[in-house]
Amino acid sequence: MTTEVTTPTSIEAADHVVRLRSIGVAFGGLRALDGIDLDVAPGERLAVLGPNGAGKTTLFNVIAGDIRPTTGSVVLCGRDCSHLPSHARPALGVARTYQKTRLFSNLTVEDNLYLAQTGRQRRHLALFVSERDRSLRERAREVAHRVWLGPMVDATVDGLSHGQRRQLEIGMALAAEPDIMLLDEPASGLSRGERERLSELIEALDPAITLLLIEHDMDVALRVADRVVVMADGIIIARGNPDEIRSNTLVHEVYLGREGGR
Amino acid sequence: MNRSWRDLVAVAVVAILVLLPLFGSAFFVEFVMTRTVILGLAASSIVFLSAYGGMVSLAQLLLFGIAGFMVGNAVGEAGSKGLKLGWNAWVAVVFALAVTVAVAALLGALSARTAGIYFLMLTLTYAVIGYYFFGQVTTFSGFGGITGIDAPPWFEGHPVRLYYVCVVLSVVTYVGLRLLVRSPFGMALQGVRDDPVRMASLGFNVALHRTLAFTFAGFIAGVAGVLNIWWNGQIDPTSISIGPTLDLLIIAVIGGIVHLEGAWLGAFVYVMANNYMRNLPFADTIGLTEARFNTVVGLLVLLIMLLSPDGLVGVILRIRTAATGLRGDGGSTSDDASDHQIATADGGPKGPPVPTHTREGSIR
Amino acid sequence: MIKSQTRRRLRKVVAAATTLTLIAAACGGDDDDTADEPAGEPADEPAPEPSDEPADEPADEPADEPADEPADEPADEPADEPADEPADEPAAEGGSLKLGILGECEGAFGGFHEDVVAGVSLAMVEDGGATVNSTTSALDGFTGANVAGLDIELVGIGCGDDTADRIIQEVRALVEQQGAEVVIGPLSGDESIAVANYAKDHPEVTFIDGIAGAQETTMQVQAPNYFRFHGDGAQWNAGLGDILYNEAGWETAAIIADDYSFGWTSAAGFIADFCAVGGDVVSRVFPPLGTTDYSSFVQQLPDPDEVDGYFWVVGGTGTNAALEAFVNAKGDLTGDQHAGNLFFSPALASALGPDIAGAYVGGFASLPADIQTPEIEAYLASADATWETLAAGAAGGEVGPPSVALGFGFGYGYYAAGKALNQALEAVGGDLSDNHAALREEMSTMTLDVPYGEVTLDENRHGIITTYVQQLVLDDESGEVVAETIALVPGVDQSFGGTFSPDTPPPDRDNPSCETRDLPWSGNAIPVVDGVPQE
Repeated sequence: MTTEVTTPTSIEAADHVVRLRSIGVAFGGLRALDGIDLDVAPGERLAVLGPNGAGKTTLFNVIAGDIRPTTGSVVLCGRDCSHLPSHARPALGVARTYQKTRLFSNLTVEDNLYLAQTGRQRRHLALFVSERDRSLRERAREVAHRVWLGPMVDATVDGLSHGQRRQLEIGMALAAEPDIMLLDEPASGLSRGERERLSELIEALDPAITLLLIEHDMDVALRVADRVVVMADGIIIARGNPDEIRSNTLVHEVYLGREGGR
Repeated sequence: MNRSWRDLVAVAVVAILVLLPLFGSAFFVEFVMTRTVILGLAASSIVFLSAYGGMVSLAQLLLFGIAGFMVGNAVGEAGSKGLKLGWNAWVAVVFALAVTVAVAALLGALSARTAGIYFLMLTLTYAVIGYYFFGQVTTFSGFGGITGIDAPPWFEGHPVRLYYVCVVLSVVTYVGLRLLVRSPFGMALQGVRDDPVRMASLGFNVALHRTLAFTFAGFIAGVAGVLNIWWNGQIDPTSISIGPTLDLLIIAVIGGIVHLEGAWLGAFVYVMANNYMRNLPFADTIGLTEARFNTVVGLLVLLIMLLSPDGLVGVILRIRTAATGLRGDGGSTSDDASDHQIATADGGPKGPPVPTHTREGSIR
Repeated sequence: MIKSQTRRRLRKVVAAATTLTLIAAACGGDDDDTADEPAGEPADEPAPEPSDEPADEPADEPADEPADEPADEPADEPADEPADEPADEPAAEGGSLKLGILGECEGAFGGFHEDVVAGVSLAMVEDGGATVNSTTSALDGFTGANVAGLDIELVGIGCGDDTADRIIQEVRALVEQQGAEVVIGPLSGDESIAVANYAKDHPEVTFIDGIAGAQETTMQVQAPNYFRFHGDGAQWNAGLGDILYNEAGWETAAIIADDYSFGWTSAAGFIADFCAVGGDVVSRVFPPLGTTDYSSFVQQLPDPDEVDGYFWVVGGTGTNAALEAFVNAKGDLTGDQHAGNLFFSPALASALGPDIAGAYVGGFASLPADIQTPEIEAYLASADATWETLAAGAAGGEVGPPSVALGFGFGYGYYAAGKALNQALEAVGGDLSDNHAALREEMSTMTLDVPYGEVTLDENRHGIITTYVQQLVLDDESGEVVAETIALVPGVDQSFGGTFSPDTPPPDRDNPSCETRDLPWSGNAIPVVDGVPQE
């Protein structure tokens, strides 16, 4: 059933930052993920494609620790963290965005970006504002500018448009200065122009950052990614570079055929 | 500008409170206002947890009571009830607050993984257990409670001193909480309120933050509880039963559960209604006797909930906004917008926060 | 849009007005330190008030505000107005005394608010020539009372709810706000302990207990300005043990009592009495207050063949439930194997059947209805002459003859307190100087003459009383279970011949222990046959 298009170099990569081995996730009787093996090399840009219900977000939840896998192991940066709670993973350099934005809606853009940075720091239980917090806020404003939210930096999230919230989602991941960035459909609901800007932003990321990207929009995904995995029904049905995926018939059948190239 | 207006009002209120003993009657200062400030302090711990932590707690009066019972047990001498330790009054305070904080930490840790209605129910359970604990475990109290507890000698014969101590501690708490919410801990707490899942994925230990916030609120409630027993001289399990527990929540709701000042404002309205309703003109002709107090407070709460979900502070803010709007000839839309700005100037949520633990995107 | 905008404004105004009204009322109340009695106040100023709060109210929420019915006002209470002023004038000769009453308008005893206010009012009517403000409710107070040249001014009626916290607030309002110089009340045990402690801090005020039955109030707290002209919960069961041991042949008994101070105190009276004459208490079981399923507690009691009898102190609806659990666990009731405190009543028969007949019952504050003396008849008649009807708690809140309220312990306790104040005031000629020194001295030493038996006070200013023992019997004619008084026990004091003293622990689960000793009233019980004491 699976015709894998493999690129030997990447799967054999010795120094991976993400290594998943036979990951399975079951919700009751439903197998959301089944026997997923995946390695991601440092600095690699991996796009995860697949139709709705393929298990893409579940895969991200497993990597970020929001869900404990039923079977299998998760190794991040050489450390087995199958049992590490989600709040301990940012320390390993993991940052993620959410498909449905998860922002602090009563706080300002600056506050959001400030919190995105402090999570990894020990001082986040401090009861007094210090010089460090001021510099973190300074950086929060810089990040806001980077995601084109400069003018809105003091507005609460409630007052942001949908597109601005998506920009802030990315900003949240950027502000954490991660080694591994998980972007879950960052372009969903954006206009064509906004997608363009988003692609530019992602392309401009520090090449040292390992990027995993779930994206429905093939243009964005294939433009940004070095490598693509395609999922359906909880398994990986194809792997390869963008060109190989574009020409894969099975992928067309289950995914592109239905959705079209847009 | 909003902030400075808020500060200005706060300073004016404090000034009035400080000068009050110069012109208010002894009863008004030593009874009505002292009680107001103590209840306000206790209610502020509910508002703090709710507005900044998204946790509506019904356990605050229990912690308030624990502090009181512990003072009673510690200072009691032969002839009174409880442990009769006969300690120095100030040692008793340290002991009472230590016990209260320890209990708060324990209860907080137990409930840190729940949210919303589950948290409310769990804290209600604590309150009920606490009531029966002190009622049935006669080692600490029994249903008769502990009576005849005197304030430390420094207050003896100087009830105004107690009033001032209550005012000072309230001011310290108010200023402290407002500073706290801008601190790294306070910011994180507000993040937990808005989205605990996101906070965890940013690297925050959500359960720890909730536990610490609950513990801190327990300390505030404990301080109020100590002041209360000095003021009231006695405490018994019915002091922390379900009725008074709800009363404290009602105080917070009247004032505006998302505004810190609302705690004291709510307490003021509550105590005033409690003490003076019977003197309202015509009150008794329409059956508004003191026996109907609970009915009237219930109606008052209903009215406030319908008109202004963020309580009397919300009403005041809206009136002010309306006034500014009229002066500035602002349209109705700008009216509403600035309204929101004020409501969230301190990061307080406009609606009830709905933290949920749904695993988003798990099955799409 | 415009409409909703307006409506929102309107709502704000209403909310603001409510707040302002409360604040206005507060300020008004505060200035009233010297003020008048409660019922008089609203009627004093019908004119200025409505104009204070202009037109916003009546328009929006008619139900909220009283403003639309000012016309009712004068018609409602014609009695206050004339009585108010004229009565004040002749006071030149004496001065006045501000009196506060601590009643109970909520909580377990909330139904007795009428009864207790009626008690005090009747004393003022009898001794001070007062007139009551309403002939159908005692809560409207009285006016025109003058005792020993002092105008007795009722400054307020406190509203307790059976909790110590609340009664402290109420007594503080009466004393510190209304300026009460004498307070009559409170009603229940825990309240009285709190008020007695409060009394210690307010030596300028004299307190006379209403009908609270806690032992500590006088024995441990010993406030020099707190007087109690009735017994405590233990005293009310005095004499019962003597009769059960010597006449009913009980040698051993088991106790089941509510696990709180009144339960302990009530049981303590029985234990002290029963053990003093030689009986032995073999088992004590204490179900928590509020228990609904008593089966596990009843199981802990010895079986009927292992013990001579059971003493029950289970309050409220618990009495029935506990006895039913007993029937289920241990078989049918044998009436004379059971005794209870005041919670035992003929009403139990409706659920338990006539088997309960034969059970013994301890006393309460007033004598039971089957005893009639000329004094009692005159007292009840004077109540019926003062009011037309009262909704007495003693009658379950039903509107009925006032004598029902006054014939029951709650109303009577407050009546006795009022009588005590009046009798002492007369004796000292209304001398209130030096913190009521003469008045207090008189109250401590006098013999209070009240219809259900004379009362004197011990050194803790606590009543030495006459109590009684009843038995539930089958009425010969009707076949129903009725209570019949079998003995009066005079001279019952709080100490039970030294069983209780300020140095002994207050009654609790383990105290008092079971010891033989001489009780002053042992063997002195006066048998009662068909309601007639056999002196």
